Amino acid sequence: MSAASRMRSAAEGEGRGTRHSPGAERSEGEPKAQPLLEVTDLVVEFRTSDGVVRAVDGLSYRVEAGRTLAIVGESGSGKSVSSLAVMGLLPPTARVTRGSAQLAGTDLLALRPRQHRAYRGERVAMVFQDALAALNPVHTVGYQLTEALRARRGLSRADARTRAIELLDLVKVPNAKARVKEYPHQFSGGMRQRVMIASALAMDPEVLIADEPTTALDVTVQAQVLHLLAEIQAERRMGLVLITHDLGVVAGVADDVTVMYAGSAVEQAPVGPIYAAPAHPYTRALLRSIPSTAGADRGTRRRLPVIPGRPPSPAARPSGCPFHPRCDVAQDLCRTAVPPLTSPAPARLSACHFAADVLANRPPRAAERRDDRPQAAETPTTPPFDEQVPGGDHE
Amino acid sequence: MSDAVLQVRELVKHYPVRRGLLRRSVAAVKAVDGVSLTLERGRTLGLVGESGSGKSTLARVLVGIETPTSGQVLVDGEDVSTLSRAGRKQLRRDVQMVFQDPYTSLNPRMSVGEIVGEPFAIHGIDPAGGRRAAVGELLELVGLDPDHTSRYPHQFSGGQRQRIGIARALALRPKVLVCDEPVSALDVSVQGQVINLLEDLQEELGLSYLFVAHDLGVVRHIAHDVAVMYLGRIVEQGPEQPVYDTARHPYTQALLSAVPVPDPAVRATAGAAAQPGGLVLEGDPPSPVDPPSGCPFHTRCWLAPTLPEARSDAPGSRPVPTVCATETPALVPHGDAATHVAACHFARELAAPGVES
Repeated sequence: MSAASRMRSAAEGEGRGTRHSPGAERSEGEPKAQPLLEVTDLVVEFRTSDGVVRAVDGLSYRVEAGRTLAIVGESGSGKSVSSLAVMGLLPPTARVTRGSAQLAGTDLLALRPRQHRAYRGERVAMVFQDALAALNPVHTVGYQLTEALRARRGLSRADARTRAIELLDLVKVPNAKARVKEYPHQFSGGMRQRVMIASALAMDPEVLIADEPTTALDVTVQAQVLHLLAEIQAERRMGLVLITHDLGVVAGVADDVTVMYAGSAVEQAPVGPIYAAPAHPYTRALLRSIPSTAGADRGTRRRLPVIPGRPPSPAARPSGCPFHPRCDVAQDLCRTAVPPLTSPAPARLSACHFAADVLANRPPRAAERRDDRPQAAETPTTPPFDEQVPGGDHE
Repeated sequence: MSDAVLQVRELVKHYPVRRGLLRRSVAAVKAVDGVSLTLERGRTLGLVGESGSGKSTLARVLVGIETPTSGQVLVDGEDVSTLSRAGRKQLRRDVQMVFQDPYTSLNPRMSVGEIVGEPFAIHGIDPAGGRRAAVGELLELVGLDPDHTSRYPHQFSGGQRQRIGIARALALRPKVLVCDEPVSALDVSVQGQVINLLEDLQEELGLSYLFVAHDLGVVRHIAHDVAVMYLGRIVEQGPEQPVYDTARHPYTQALLSAVPVPDPAVRATAGAAAQPGGLVLEGDPPSPVDPPSGCPFHTRCWLAPTLPEARSDAPGSRPVPTVCATETPALVPHGDAATHVAACHFARELAAPGVES
């Protein structure tokens, strides 16, 4: 079975991916890179007391060598579950019911657990949010860093120790020689996260998935860790998937962005364009709701623009577009029809019926569009949505 | 015009470090080490700093969860420490707390009605119209359905739970709310809702907030005044605008420059990932058991080694001006406003615009 998936032609994987992934539609100038990891139409379901719940509903993305893909979303958006599926680390109640995750010609999702182990850590590694919980408190840091190397590569204890020191040096833990003998509780939060990164790098993976790696850290330490990640990634031409809720972090390190809402991608694009002109109302609203240190809201004590309501529970998703109950431009169509990911501009994908209008920052023209009236008739002098430009908030 | 509702004078909170068979105190964690603050009525004072800076300890002392080692806490001019037990309890009604984690700060075995009504029970108060009605009103005040009193915390989302926590804190009609990271556990889209609620409640009820947070953007939005803590001390303090726009302490500047800016264009101009302002502090904050001599920040300060006065004591050590390593700088005005104070010997060096690394 794994042989079959290995045999699956690259062309087929490519063909299935182009419809959804933003990389495929990148502007002509850039050479189209072969993705390291390509996730296509992933569906993950959980068995719960309320029945079967879809945590991830048709997610596709691709990660290229030397590039960073940020997956942004709120809690319950499915961003972490989708990564656990790729890693083969889903809890027993969860099941991948559709989709593939191609890594160098192999569909990771079609592998049996034992086969998956050969990829986990070796080719795709993961850094978890809570380093204190992810590290074993009763083993030294050096032991944990090289556990996999000893088990799989048969490294001797002396070699493992040397390698552990190298790894700590790599992530810039000062005094690595002495610190390999220490236990996780003797490390500060930032240093622990460095240890996590070092252990993920031990087997030299092609793709690193980092799930909220800096969320538990102070801003000053966060800056250090993000800087380190970016440096290592550039050096090794690694593909990095950064899962986060922090749009500030995304702007700082990502090349491409996938915004998730209610289990699927609602917007996918390179980082620059998505911040300059979001093509989905959710992205736009998220960007507007960040309080700034630049003091845009000084003096007037203006209310923070917020998204009403809260993210829907996977057990009770709204009909039509899952964002419509919270959307500021929702139309009748949005209540009934699920919007597909469409491309309102080159290298842009948005799952909004009115993606082109949102991108152009003008009100949606629902009626006109459905009546199919000519262009000229549909441009009445509607007030421009200037105040909704995220940049417009920071005068 | 000063109308202080809460004053803190030279507050110190040390925790003994005990060792050996006799549990003798061998050292002290200097969590809060001489802090003075004034919270004006109807205003919000933001308290920022890294973890371990003592900001949460300070908050806990203010609501009476911890007793101070020394120093005074004055509520409406009355010194809490000189009061009798009964008097303290009375005063404690005036200062209530909203906790960070809405998942662990609500008892899962109590219904919402019991949680929000518990302050009445503890203080033996029967509000006009009965507790049930009062609880309903409180829930309505924070934007929850008053009919949900018989539900349990697990039936609510994070944002709703934080609203329950706020309703509980408001039950006794306090003058001051101490909010310890009230929105940091919430999703971005829900965070704004709770911030707006807190601002509305302040206006409606004339509340004063001490707002402890590590998110500098949130603090800038909600606070009128800001105090920056480092290793148990305040290193900079003043109205929100000058502190953010013309920070006079190198630590404040470093904190501000470490905040990720949600704008990829900033990265393009800065050239390096994840460090828009270019000031990345090295290492972690030192241990509060053994804080550095002189200015507590001198071991991580990015400014000190660049000064002409800098010299290193031992070969290989970090060069800093002698005064930074020996004398603790006092909080003195440095900006245009007399209320904007910073504790740095070289604050004037930072006054020139464009001093970035």
